[in-house]
Amino acid sequence: MIGIAVAAFALFCGLPLAYMLAQSGTTGATYAALLLDARQRALLYNTAALGTGTALLATLIGAPLGLALARVVVPFKPALRIALAAPVLLPPYVTGLAWVYLGGSAGIVASVMGRDVISEWTYSLPGAILVLSLVFYPLSMLATEVAMRRVETRLEEAALVVASPGRVVRHITLPLVAPSVAAAALVIFVLAVSEFGVPGLLRVRVFTTEVFTAFAALYDFSRATILTLPLLGLSILVAAVAALLVGERLVVTRRGLGSAQLIAFEGWSGRASAAAACVLAIALVAPLAVLTREALAVPSVAAVVQGSREAIGNSLTLAALGATVVTLIAVWLGYARARARRRFGVVADVLFVVLFAVPSTVVGVGLIGVWNRAGVFGRLYGTDGMLLLVYLARFLPVAALALAAGIRYVPTSHEEAAAVGGAGWWRTMIRIVLPQVKLALLATWILVFILAFGELGASILVAPPGEATLPIRIYTIIANAPPAHVAALALLQSVVVLSPLVLLAFVMTAWRTR
Amino acid sequence: MLTAAAVVAVAAACRPREPAQNAERTVTIYVSTDRVFSEPVLREYEKRSGVRVSAVYDTEETKSTGLANRLIAEVNRPQADVFWSNEPVRTLVLKSRGVLATYRSSSAEGIPDALVDPEGYWTGFSARIRVIAYNTNLVKAGDAPRSVFDLADPRWKGKAGIADPRFGSTSFHVAALYAHVGDAKMDVFFRQLKANDVRIVDSNSVVRDLVARGELHVGLTDTDDVNVAIENGQPVAMVLPDRDGVGVPVMPNMVSLVANAPHLDEGRALIDYLLSPDVERMLADSEAVQIPLHAGVPGPRNIPSIDSFRPMTLDYTKAAARVDEVTVRAATILGR
Repeated sequence: MIGIAVAAFALFCGLPLAYMLAQSGTTGATYAALLLDARQRALLYNTAALGTGTALLATLIGAPLGLALARVVVPFKPALRIALAAPVLLPPYVTGLAWVYLGGSAGIVASVMGRDVISEWTYSLPGAILVLSLVFYPLSMLATEVAMRRVETRLEEAALVVASPGRVVRHITLPLVAPSVAAAALVIFVLAVSEFGVPGLLRVRVFTTEVFTAFAALYDFSRATILTLPLLGLSILVAAVAALLVGERLVVTRRGLGSAQLIAFEGWSGRASAAAACVLAIALVAPLAVLTREALAVPSVAAVVQGSREAIGNSLTLAALGATVVTLIAVWLGYARARARRRFGVVADVLFVVLFAVPSTVVGVGLIGVWNRAGVFGRLYGTDGMLLLVYLARFLPVAALALAAGIRYVPTSHEEAAAVGGAGWWRTMIRIVLPQVKLALLATWILVFILAFGELGASILVAPPGEATLPIRIYTIIANAPPAHVAALALLQSVVVLSPLVLLAFVMTAWRTR
Repeated sequence: MLTAAAVVAVAAACRPREPAQNAERTVTIYVSTDRVFSEPVLREYEKRSGVRVSAVYDTEETKSTGLANRLIAEVNRPQADVFWSNEPVRTLVLKSRGVLATYRSSSAEGIPDALVDPEGYWTGFSARIRVIAYNTNLVKAGDAPRSVFDLADPRWKGKAGIADPRFGSTSFHVAALYAHVGDAKMDVFFRQLKANDVRIVDSNSVVRDLVARGELHVGLTDTDDVNVAIENGQPVAMVLPDRDGVGVPVMPNMVSLVANAPHLDEGRALIDYLLSPDVERMLADSEAVQIPLHAGVPGPRNIPSIDSFRPMTLDYTKAAARVDEVTVRAATILGR
C-alpha cells in the first residue's frame, strides 16, 4: 500500500511541478529572473513577514483554544467547537472584505466615529496578518485538540501532584503536542504566503503577486515557474527550522484515556469561556454581522441563490469525494513518514510543505500539460476527474503532513506487540494503528474537504466546460455584482460549506452519546 | 467498503459530462466577458440553434489568470472552439502565440473596418468605453476631470485611483495611450500620477467601489462598471474622457475561432451569431451597456452613441506589440 501511495504521490503531486520546471527551460534568461531586484527582495520579505506573523498569531489564538476544548470544562462544548472552527470556512477574501467594510476609510467605524481613525491600520501588513490569523486559527485549534486527546492524561496528573496547572501545561502538555501544533503552524504559514486576495484587498504587496503577474499580465509560464522557486525556498527554510525546533522528541505516549477531563484545570473554565467568546465575537460574529448588514440590501435572496443549485451539488460531491480519495492515500504516506528514520522524516516533511506551497496556477497549468494529451490521460481531461486531480495535487501533501503528525502518537510498541502475537502488517494496520488515529483521519478529511471546497486557482484552469463548482461560479459573477449581492454570495458559500460539517458534528455527537 | 465506494464515485466523476453521440451538436466557448452578461446571450443561441453551448466563464475584472493561460496551455490539443474576449489585449496575445485561426464572418458586415482584423483572426463587436468615474456627493459635474491627463492635477492629489496598469482593460488603455501619445510624454504623465499619490488597486470594479464609497473622489474605469453602480443608486457618474484631445478610448469585445477547434463548423456558426445585430442589441439592453458597432442598432441609455464622439484612432496590432513592455514600464514608474 505504501508503495502505491508513494507512486500516486509522485504521479499526482510531483509530475505537474516537474513538467512546469522542465518546460521552463534552463536558459540563463529564465533563471536570471531568480536574481531578484531590490523591489522583489522587499516583496519576498513582506511575504515572509506575512506568513510568519500569521502562523505565530494564529497559533497563539488557536493552540490555547484547542487546549481548552480538550482539557477544560466549558459549557456547550460541541456547539462551541463548531462555532470556533467556522471562521476557517469563510473564504479569506470575504473575511477581508468584511474588515474593509468595517475599518476602511469610509467604513462603519469611520461613519460612527465621524472621522477616519483606523483605516491606516486596516490597510497594513499587521492588518493583513490579523485578518488571516482570524481565518486560519481554527486549524491550529483543531490540530491541538486532536493531539491533546492523544496525550496520556496520567502524565499530567502525575505532574500536577508537584506543580501548578500552568507549569504542567508549559512543561508537560505543550511539548507533547508540539509536533501537531508545529505542523498546523506550517500549514498556516503556507496558506498565508499563497494567499494574495487578502493582501491585495488590504494593499499589502507580496511576492505571490509576482508569480501571478507573470501568468496574468505576461503569459510567461517559464518566468512564473522560476519565480515560484523563491517562495518554495522560503517554505523549505521555515519547514527546516520547524523540524529542527520540534525534532522527534515527542512521539511516545501510551494510548491515552481519550478526552478525560482533569480536575485541576476546572479553575480555568471561566477564563476559557471568556476567551472563546472574545475570539468568536471578533473572528465570526463581527464579519458575519457586517456581511449580513451589507447583504440585507439585496432585493431578492432567491435571485442570489438562483442558478447556483448545480454548482452547489458539484462542489459538495467533488469536495467530499476529493477529501475521501486524498485521505485514503495520505494515510499511507503519513504512516511511512511517521515510521521513517529521522533524516528521511525531515526530508519528507520538507517535501510535503514545499509541494503544498506550489502556487495553484502553476499546479493548474502543470496539470494541463501532463493530462491534456492523446490516449489514456486525455480521456480524463475534460471530465470532473480533473478537479479530483487538482485536489490530489494540491492537498495530498498537507493531508500526509497532518496524518503523519497524528500517527507519530501511536507507539511502535503496539505494532511490535501485534507482530509478536502473529498479526500480519495489514491486520495490524486495520485493527491497531488506524483505530487509534480515527480522530486525526476525520480532522484530515474535514481539512481537505474545506480546502477542496474553496479551491479556485487551479480548478478554474482545468474545470470541464459547463457548470463547475460554487467558488468558480461566484468568482465569475462577482466582479460586476453590487456589493450587497457579493456579500449575499459570500454568505451563501459559507452556509453551503458549513451545513454538512454541522450535520456531521451532530451525527457524531448523537452516535457517541448512544 | 469505503474504498470500494470511493472507486465507484471516482469512476463516475471521470466520465464525460455529455453523451458522445451528442458531440456533433455541441460547441465549446471560452468567455472572458462577465458571466452575468454573456450567459443569457449563449442560452438564447441554444434556444435558436438547438446546439448545446458548453461555456467556460472567466472575468478579467478579478485579475484572473484563467482563460488565456488555459488556451495557451491547451494549444497542442485545443478543447475550445471559440474565444470571446471582453477586451483586445488578450486576443492579440493569443493571436501572437498561434492559438487562433482565421475566420471572416458574413455577420461582420457593417462593423467599422478599424475593428476587424485585416488578417481575419478577430472581429470586434459591442464596445465599452474607458471612463472617468466620480462621486457625485464629493465632486460637482462641472468640476469632474475631462481628460485622463487631468488626474495628474494637484487638486486630485490622493483622491484619484486607477487599476493596476498591467492587467485587463487598463493595460489596453495604457498601451493605446503610449502608442498614440508617445513614450516620453506618457512616462512624464505616470511620474506625475505617482507624485500625485494616485491609488493603484486590483481591478476596475474596485476603482468603482472606492469611488462609490467616497474613499476616492475620481477614478479611471469602464462603462459597465460605472453603470452597475448607477443602476444600484450609488452616488456615481461618469465622464467620457479626452473628447477634445486624443479621443475617447473605445474597447470592443473580440471574438475569434480557435486554431484546430474540435467543432469547427459549430464554432463558425456561433461566431456568426455573436457578431449579429441581435446580440449587440441584447448587450446594449443589459447592464453591460455595451455600445453597438452595427449602424442602426439602438445604443444603451445613459451612454452616448459611438457616432456622437470622436473615438481614439488606434492600430490594435501596433499597440498590442508593445503592451507587455509599456504596461510594465508604467507599473514600474508607479512603484508596482
